[in-house]
Amino acid sequence: MTAYLSAEGVNVSFGGLRALNDCGFTVEKGRITCLVGPNGAGKTTIFNVITGFLKPNTGTVSFQGRSLDGMAPKDIVALGIARTFQNLRLFVDLTALDNVLAALPNMAGESPLTAMLRPFHVARTQTTRRQEAMRILEHVGLADRATAFVRNLSYGEQKLLTVARGLATGAELLLLDEPASGLSAGALEQIMALLKRLRDEGMTLLVVEHNTRVVRQIADDVLFLHQGHLMARGSPEEIVNDPALAEIYFGGAI
Amino acid sequence: MDFWLSYCTLAAIYVLLGLSTNLLVGIAGIFSVSQAAVFGVGAYIVSWLLMNDVMGFIPALTIAAGCCIALNILVTLPALRVSGDYFVVTSFGIQLLATAIFTNWTAGTGGANGLPGIPPPDLFDKTLDSQAHLTALSVSCMGLGCLAFWLIMRAPFGRLLRAIREDELAVAAAGKSVLRAKVSAAAMAGAFAGGAGGLYATFLSFIDPSSFDLDASILLLTMVVVGGARTLAGSILGPFLLLALPQVLSLIDIPTTIAAAARQLIYGLLLILFMLFRPQGLAGEKL
Repeated sequence: MTAYLSAEGVNVSFGGLRALNDCGFTVEKGRITCLVGPNGAGKTTIFNVITGFLKPNTGTVSFQGRSLDGMAPKDIVALGIARTFQNLRLFVDLTALDNVLAALPNMAGESPLTAMLRPFHVARTQTTRRQEAMRILEHVGLADRATAFVRNLSYGEQKLLTVARGLATGAELLLLDEPASGLSAGALEQIMALLKRLRDEGMTLLVVEHNTRVVRQIADDVLFLHQGHLMARGSPEEIVNDPALAEIYFGGAI
Repeated sequence: MDFWLSYCTLAAIYVLLGLSTNLLVGIAGIFSVSQAAVFGVGAYIVSWLLMNDVMGFIPALTIAAGCCIALNILVTLPALRVSGDYFVVTSFGIQLLATAIFTNWTAGTGGANGLPGIPPPDLFDKTLDSQAHLTALSVSCMGLGCLAFWLIMRAPFGRLLRAIREDELAVAAAGKSVLRAKVSAAAMAGAFAGGAGGLYATFLSFIDPSSFDLDASILLLTMVVVGGARTLAGSILGPFLLLALPQVLSLIDIPTTIAAAARQLIYGLLLILFMLFRPQGLAGEKL
């Protein structure tokens, strides 16, 4: 049986620094897999490799049995993998709705030729695409903020919007980089509920998370990364309660 | 009357150039200082085709627009790979190179003496030789250009370009081709500039390199800054206002030798003052 998402022997060096060192793991379909580890463990780097933003020195990533090596980010998105960024990278001068619309695939009128030659067709499809984007905003709980400019949204709302933008691409595997960091208690509950709901609807989530309380609550599987290498994998209980891992996580080990 | 018509004709042509510059610099964020070079290539191609009786005005204009699309994609290619400061320097070099060719390739461009006697445009076997006809032609072209600009900016293409200006990486992560969108914007800007060049040459019936040099490129940037970046209104307002300036200056009694320098001085001052105190221009969004 081939794994849903698998990384094998991935090595990435930045100059003398080995960011990923023979990194390998699998992610199972329909589950929330949390990626944990101390700062500098390579969590964001492996995200960049999976999504095609960074070419590994060696190693391979495959999705549903298909190798992603050498593919451009947009082609990986087309296969069904989308990501969010730790620093959000929303289009802050656009509205929440436009942020979602900008990520919808197969948009008519994204080339100047169709825009000029088939204006009525473009205008017609825009109406249905806008409804589609609204449904996604409703799904993450931002329907009432659709026309607000992103810079006027709260931090929690912006985090929800990054998830909405990921969903808009039509992805079935979402890579979320610290979706819960820096949130107030209420916003934290909201985003955890959303992630669990997405999983229950059949999506697969790979989540970088630091907060052990969040990991315990949402994770089905936990991958522990240390110095660019997969050190352990297991259930949240196993990983969080392992004294050796806690030692690494909270300092001590080099 | 003739004075107003020729002012409107010239302003309409510069509106096309303003749209071109706005699309590239204001909207796509490709900071080109060589738009006048592309404008010049359009002008020389149409002049050459008409003076040698190769074809009529419309096919010549189409060919010029096509060549300028290809040329503009070519000269903005570095910007599709590297961004920001590096590209400004590259673009500056392209402008100087173009001026050198316009000035020294005497056989093709007439060199510094320019090309005199460019025939007026013809439409459907009719030669447009009256001022009113020429004005109608360029204002119609301006109208078409504005319509095209409005259509692409309200379509998803406009949204994509705005998103790219904010964050290219996020656009790629959303599954879109940043490269394709930028090439499209460069192509549109090239078509506008090439078309404007053809109209300019046939309207003046004489062209020389001084209309397509670095000063001209900077004038285009000034028009976009003063009018307002990223909006249709700004692209129209800028050229009409700045082209009125020489006329206003001519009302003041200063020697002609100083007038040209005074004009450049005022353009430069306007650019600085607007950047400092009103970066969004008269009717634009913040650059």
